[in-house]
Amino acid sequence: MKNDQWKLRDILMMSILGVLFAAVYLAVFSGGMVLSALLTPTGLSTFSFELIYGVWFMASAVAAYIIRKPGVALITEVLAAGVELLMGNAGGLVVILTGFIQGLGCELGFAAFRYKKFNLLSMTLGGILAASFIFVYELYYLQNYLLAPGLLFAKLMVRFLSAALFTGLISKLACDGLARTGVLKNYGIDLSRQEVLIEREEE
Amino acid sequence: MNTINPSVKALGLLMPTFFLAAMQKPFLNLTVFVLSLILLAVSRINYKIFIAAMIPVILTALGTFYTGYRFQAGNGMPVSELSFHLADSGVWNGLILASRVLAFAGLGLLLALTTDRVRLVQSLNQQLKLPPVFAYGLLAAWGILPVMMREYRQTRAAFRARGLRVLPVSPALLKPMLVKAVRWAEALSVAMESKGFDGNAPRTVYRPVPVRIRDFIFLFAVALGCAGILFLP
Repeated sequence: MKNDQWKLRDILMMSILGVLFAAVYLAVFSGGMVLSALLTPTGLSTFSFELIYGVWFMASAVAAYIIRKPGVALITEVLAAGVELLMGNAGGLVVILTGFIQGLGCELGFAAFRYKKFNLLSMTLGGILAASFIFVYELYYLQNYLLAPGLLFAKLMVRFLSAALFTGLISKLACDGLARTGVLKNYGIDLSRQEVLIEREEE
Repeated sequence: MNTINPSVKALGLLMPTFFLAAMQKPFLNLTVFVLSLILLAVSRINYKIFIAAMIPVILTALGTFYTGYRFQAGNGMPVSELSFHLADSGVWNGLILASRVLAFAGLGLLLALTTDRVRLVQSLNQQLKLPPVFAYGLLAAWGILPVMMREYRQTRAAFRARGLRVLPVSPALLKPMLVKAVRWAEALSVAMESKGFDGNAPRTVYRPVPVRIRDFIFLFAVALGCAGILFLP
């Protein structure tokens, strides 16, 4: 890959997507909070967040889909975590670590296809890998291994569904709509045109 | 807490987080939580933001308690002698999980509420060598947030005005937001580059974030506390 150098525009794009999906997440989060409060006595409140977990990985998938360079998914998730930190997330620096873990999962989804396919399949795979990575991490960090295996399995399945829905389907649909508007003509999504631009820049 | 170097503070608070993550001591977790609250009380913080941040934390802790209480891992459950003092191991299980949420939240809020956001990123750039493109890119995007929130509400209102019902995450709603995101990224990068921003060029800083002796004392105190935890029975 010859255009691996990060441009300021790419980084701004990734940060802004981080901010955008932080805003989207906040909008969904309040709904999740109400559901969680209602479910608290049944012990199932944890599922209300599993349902919207996929929203976390959307920034990654969308950025990778638009910019199409190796590492974009990973860095975007870390930057999105940076935004979370700025917003006063109660996680502290740990948020950056979880961002890294989730980003890594998402990145592998695209790496599995050698960064050649940015489609529904690779986006969904990325989302599901991100979901599994963070799930394993939470087993230890939140000591979720103290919970019943059946519940954990159900949690994981709901998270997979959420990842497939948000990170896969919804991100893909939104991105396709975005591509059709033509504002992305400078980005990796339109590769042939990108080649011309690179040559021009190198002169 | 407000005057400690942001990077040092973040790293210092990260240390006990990992120590606690490796243990199952609910009372220790609760102690850390109370300690964080005390430190918050003696720092200059915005109590409105504090209360707003505590509501989800407490709800999550409650939810986690019930989850741990109702669904504990059967025979793998490590039962210590201490747990016999409590009603049953379900309560203990819930307590372990819930107290952890509280302890982590306490430590996290200690950073979030006593640190100036811009200073934090500047400090990450200066002390932890975060590349300037990322530091300033993050700050520029952060500046967009209020506009972003307004646009998001506006776009939703626009859909409603047309009589269309959209979910907060529906693709139809996200599309115009993504278009705006792309436009903002382009505009910001042109603006920054036209003012001579270069991520690779050496740069000077107008407001350096200092590392002082008190920062080392803070780190030392936290390390001492963590070491103390290790020798706890």
